Amino acid sequence: MPPQSSNAPIVARNLVRTFGSGERLIRAVDGVDLEVAAGEVFGFLGPNGAGKSTTVRMLTTLLRPTSGSATVAGFDIVSEADSVRRSIGVALQDAAIDPLMTGMELLKLQAVLYGIARGEQHQRAGDLLERVGLSAAADRRVGTYSGGMRRRLDLALALIHEPTVLFLDEPTTGLDPMSRLALWDEIRRLNNDGTTVLLTTQYLEEADQLADRVAIIDNGRIVRDGRPDELKSEVGAPTLLITVAEHATSAAETVLAQFGESRPTAEGTLGVGLRDGAGEVSAVVRALDALGINVEHLELRAPSLDDVFAEATGHRLEGAS
Amino acid sequence: MSASTGLATRSLRNIRRLPSAFIPALLMPVFQVVSFSGTYAGVTQMPGFPTDRSVNWYLPMAVTMGASFAGLGTGFSMIRDLQTGFYDRLRMAPTTRRQLLLGPYLAAWARALIAVVLVTLVGLALGARPVGSGLGMFGLVLAGVGMATIGTGWGLGLAYRFKDMRAAAIMQLTLFLGLFLTDAQTPIEVMQGWLQTVARWNPLTRVLHVARMGFIDGLGGRDLLIGTLVMAGLAGITWMFALSGLSSLDD
Repeated sequence: MPPQSSNAPIVARNLVRTFGSGERLIRAVDGVDLEVAAGEVFGFLGPNGAGKSTTVRMLTTLLRPTSGSATVAGFDIVSEADSVRRSIGVALQDAAIDPLMTGMELLKLQAVLYGIARGEQHQRAGDLLERVGLSAAADRRVGTYSGGMRRRLDLALALIHEPTVLFLDEPTTGLDPMSRLALWDEIRRLNNDGTTVLLTTQYLEEADQLADRVAIIDNGRIVRDGRPDELKSEVGAPTLLITVAEHATSAAETVLAQFGESRPTAEGTLGVGLRDGAGEVSAVVRALDALGINVEHLELRAPSLDDVFAEATGHRLEGAS
Repeated sequence: MSASTGLATRSLRNIRRLPSAFIPALLMPVFQVVSFSGTYAGVTQMPGFPTDRSVNWYLPMAVTMGASFAGLGTGFSMIRDLQTGFYDRLRMAPTTRRQLLLGPYLAAWARALIAVVLVTLVGLALGARPVGSGLGMFGLVLAGVGMATIGTGWGLGLAYRFKDMRAAAIMQLTLFLGLFLTDAQTPIEVMQGWLQTVARWNPLTRVLHVARMGFIDGLGGRDLLIGTLVMAGLAGITWMFALSGLSSLDD
């Protein structure tokens, strides 16, 4: 359950956003309720098109909700949009940065836009460039930056006015593993300094590693939310994944059904949530062997956020995007 | 530095870094003043033509067009910022919507002054000779700034609504139609039929008269007053058009 603090930095109530009309009406966000507590890293998890970015665009005042309400940093996102903007930092999905400008110029422009005193602008921009490891590239045009450098600059831009709430929309999408780890470290550091972070991601590991709580969104609705370990324990049983010859699939399914409920898996693999836990593996193998079914591959997996996602939505997130 | 001047500085810096986006808009009016004053040199023989120098007639029109391009140029830049998502960053800043708009206006005025000075120098080199008092040159600059203002509001308003290159096509088409359906080429008195009626009622004709004050005899304070009122009216309408377009991005 989400915390019930009325002072939560992010609160959304029945948030709805539609596009189009009539037969072409699309409910991109369909009644989202969420509450993010102060100092939390909140993971918003879902596949492409689930409604994550649309929700973030509403919470960051870029898009008016069709209905429902939300407050960010205690301010209404529609009637007090300017106060919301003053309180938040945002790094959007595509790291939209003017390629003709240098990193230093962009940070100074951002400082101007946020009303930072002229005497402080250069110092603060320099400090942030150093923090994200871009001091050496400060006077290079952003068009020459790598994807990872652009993401780090985007993060620095979001921090120029020392926001209390930070929105990161898929901050590591498209990054190499090293850049991803570096960005994770920076997000942890920011959170340790007291910044509340709402992070959208389609990477399960990212949500698992960073988020204190996650909400799983699918087709515009939040289908589960809670602490990652709680959600995983709710799924309960570990999943046994097996691969058998194609002609034996039907018989194997019948055997597996005796040990627990079927779980969605990748094509060509059978999955079962072992009702009585990992100790059942040998019994499953013996049962299959008794029918002459040859097991080509066997894997036992502890419950993951992907299992939570699969149980909640009927399909898997991993490999879906 | 305010948010508006910060945005204007960025826009002007990008002229130097991406000259290909600005130079064509500057060359077009230069080309017009050169080619029109040469090609239509004989137009001055027409009975009642108000000057014996064709360049005096065409220079103000080219200046007005150059300044308009400077305004529309901000619309082209806006399309790029909208398409790359950079404008989202600006919209998320705690600046008023008016400040966000004023930035491109400041940049357009600076660009327009570059166009006004360059095209005027080319015209003078081709033989244009100012007439009357210095008020006439003021009229040329005023018309330039006025058309840049109108062009900026129109360009931004279209860019916010279409968010793609359709806006650019409409900007150019409407600018050419608006300016050429005036007395840009020949005096209203020698036109015939619907063209004469359209030119007489086209508000941009009044703007051209302000621009011509320093180069054509017979234009004076009344033309300055009417032209200024027309520019103020169109500037106000296009500002509102741009402001409502900016607001529509939230929808």
